[in-house]
Amino acid sequence: MTKNKISRKQFHRLDPDYERPLYQLPNKIKARIIKKLRFLYGEQGAEIWFPELERIMSVYYAHKTEHMIAWEKTYKAAERFSEKDAILITYGDLIRGKREKPLELMVDLCKTYLKDAFNVLHILPFFPYSSDRGFAVLDFKEVDPQLGTWEDILNLKDDFQLMFDGVFNHVSSKSRWFQEFLNQNPDYIDFFTVFSTKEGISPDHLKLITRPRTSEVLTQFKTLYGPRLVWTTFSQDQIDLNYKNPRVLLKMVEILLTYVRRGADIIRLDAVTYLWEELGTSCAHLDQSHVIIKLFRDILDAVAPHVALITETNVMHKDNIRYFGNGRDEAQMVYNFALPPLVLHAFQTANTTTLTQWAKNLGINSDTTTYFNFLDSHDGIGVTAARGILPDEEIEMMALRVLEHGGYISYKDNGDGTMSPYEFNITWYSAINREDAKEENDAEAVIEQKHTRSINRTTLSKKYLLSALDDPDSNIYQVASGLIRLIRKRIKEKSFHPNAAQRVLSITEKVFAVLRTSRDNSECILAVTNVSNARQELAIDLKQCEIEFDNCIDILTNKTFTAKEGKLRLILAPYDIVWLKGNV
Amino acid sequence: MSFLVEETRDNRVQIIRCPKRIDITISSDLRDILSNLIEQGKYEIVIDLTQTQYVDSSGLGAIVSRIAAARSNKGDVRIAGPRKNVKELFQLTHLNQILKMYDNVEAASLSYER
Repeated sequence: MTKNKISRKQFHRLDPDYERPLYQLPNKIKARIIKKLRFLYGEQGAEIWFPELERIMSVYYAHKTEHMIAWEKTYKAAERFSEKDAILITYGDLIRGKREKPLELMVDLCKTYLKDAFNVLHILPFFPYSSDRGFAVLDFKEVDPQLGTWEDILNLKDDFQLMFDGVFNHVSSKSRWFQEFLNQNPDYIDFFTVFSTKEGISPDHLKLITRPRTSEVLTQFKTLYGPRLVWTTFSQDQIDLNYKNPRVLLKMVEILLTYVRRGADIIRLDAVTYLWEELGTSCAHLDQSHVIIKLFRDILDAVAPHVALITETNVMHKDNIRYFGNGRDEAQMVYNFALPPLVLHAFQTANTTTLTQWAKNLGINSDTTTYFNFLDSHDGIGVTAARGILPDEEIEMMALRVLEHGGYISYKDNGDGTMSPYEFNITWYSAINREDAKEENDAEAVIEQKHTRSINRTTLSKKYLLSALDDPDSNIYQVASGLIRLIRKRIKEKSFHPNAAQRVLSITEKVFAVLRTSRDNSECILAVTNVSNARQELAIDLKQCEIEFDNCIDILTNKTFTAKEGKLRLILAPYDIVWLKGNV
Repeated sequence: MSFLVEETRDNRVQIIRCPKRIDITISSDLRDILSNLIEQGKYEIVIDLTQTQYVDSSGLGAIVSRIAAARSNKGDVRIAGPRKNVKELFQLTHLNQILKMYDNVEAASLSYER
C-alpha cells in the first residue's frame, strides 16, 4: 500500500463540517451509479433512490478532513498494494487479560511484536453479535463493549492499516432490524426474504439453490401476524437481507461509509456470493450481486478511493475470480480460496503437480487488483474452490487425512440428497504436521460449542501467550518467529511486489518453484519449497527454465550459489525453503 | 476394563471391543491398537461401541486416527452398536457422514463381505 507520511488517523472528523460546499459527484461516476440502480430497481427506482444515495455520500464527504482531501490528490491506485503488505487476521478477543479490554491488549501486543512485519490488521467482526463468533451482527455501527471502543480501533491506526468486515449478507435474528420485522413494523417488513408457506419455493426451485450448509434454507419465525418463513443461507440465527428492497442497499452503503469514517482501509465483503436471491436460479453469484459490489466500488472510488474491497466467496475458482470484474470495476482483492486446499494437497501427497499446474495459469487482469493469498482462516480450509482442479476422490482422501490429524469436516447439501465436504475444520499447524505431533486443535470446544469451526477459534490468556512467545521450544514461538522472519525478508524485496512478473516452474513433483521478476526487470527471486519429507537434490537447467542469472544468494541463509555448465545445483533438506535472489 | 482385539473366524475382520468410557486417559491405547493393525496389513476393522457409554473429543480423534490409511488400502474402520448419545456426538462432529455405522458387531463384520 502506498507509503505516506500523513497519518491516516487524521483522515476523518468526528462531526461533519456542513459549512463546506456540498460534495459534487463527478458526472462519469454518477452515470455509472445510476446505470447500476436501473439494473437493480428499474428506471423509476433509480430516479427515486439516487438522490438518497447521493445524500449519504455527501454526509460522508462532510466528515473528510482537509488532510485527507489533500492526500487523495497524490494517491495512485496502481500503488495501492506492494510487497510491504502483510495482513494479520485475528479475533478482537483473541487475547484475554485480567484488567485490560481485549482491544487494548491487541493494540499493545501488535505494536510490540508485529509493527515491522505486518502493516494491516484484520480484526474479525468486532461488533455486538449473537453467534458464529461475530458473523451474526446485532448492530453494525457499534463496537462490542466487551472488546473495547471505537477509540481502541482508531488507536491501531497509528501503526497499521485496518481491514473491517462488511457482514452485509445477513443480520442476527436478535438484531433490532429483525425484531422490528417480527413486530411487523412496516418499515422492516421488506428487509428480509419471506414466504408464508413452504410451497412458496417449488421443489424444482429448491433443488437449484446452491447451499453452503446442510440446514434448511427457510427458517420459521413467529411474527405478530402469524408464522413466517425467512431466508437463512447460513444458520437460523443469520437472516439474509433482502437487497431487492432499495432501502436495504442504502442502509448498507451508509454502513460501508461509516466503516471508512471509522478507519477501514480495506473492507471484507463477507459471503457476498449470496447477496441476491432469485427463485429459479442457484441464488449464488448472480449478476445482481456483482452489480451491488460494483456499486460499492463506484461509491468508494468517488469518495474514498484508497479503500479497497475484498470479496470472500468460497466458491469454485472460476466463479471466485469473477469478483475481480474487469480488473477496475469490482473487488481489488479476492480471497484465493483454491490456494489452501491445493497447498495442503501438495504437502499431504508430497506432490506439487496439481498446485504447479494451477498456479501456472493464475493471472491478474489489472495492475490495481491482487489475490488475497492465505493458507488458513478463522473458518478453516474451504475446499469448494479446489473442485474441478482436484478430482473428487482426492478431496475425499484429503478429508480422511484431516480427520487423522484431529480435524473435522463441514459438509454442504448438494441438493440431490447427497453431501460433500465444504470445509476442513482444523488448524493449519495440525493439518500439515505429522499426525503424532502435538495437536493445536481445540477439539473440546467443538463439542462444548456444538460447532466444528470452534476447533480453530481458541482464545489465549495474555500470560500464556507472552510466556509462549518467550519460550523457543513452544509451538507459538516457532510458528510466530518463523513466519515473522520470512515476512521481514519478503517485505524488502521488490520482486515480491504483486505486480512483479511471475512464472511457475515445473522442476520436480517434490518441489514448488516460482520465479518472480521485479517490475524494473533488474532483479529476480527463485523461490523453491520442498513439500516432501525427503532430501531433494536438484540440478536446475537455467536455459530451459529461462532464468537469467548465474550467481545468486539465498536471502534466507545468505548462502551463495553459482551455476556450472548452465545448471544450478541445490540440495534441499526435507520441507526446506530457499529464496534465491539474482540480478537480471 | 480396556480395549480387546478379536478376529472373526475367517481371520479377516478385526474387532476392537471398547470399554464403557473412551476418554483422554485411554484414547492413546486405541490409537496404538489401530496403528498396529494397519502396520500388520489388517485394514478391515470394526470398533465395537456396544458397551461404550461415553466418548470424549480425544476418543473421537482416536476412532478416526487411521481411517485414511485403512481406506487407502481398500479397508475401513466401521462402527458397531453405538448408543444414542454417542451417535449424537458423531452427528454433532459430522463424523456420521464418514463413518459407516451398524447396529451390532455381526452386521458390521458382515458388511465387509459385500
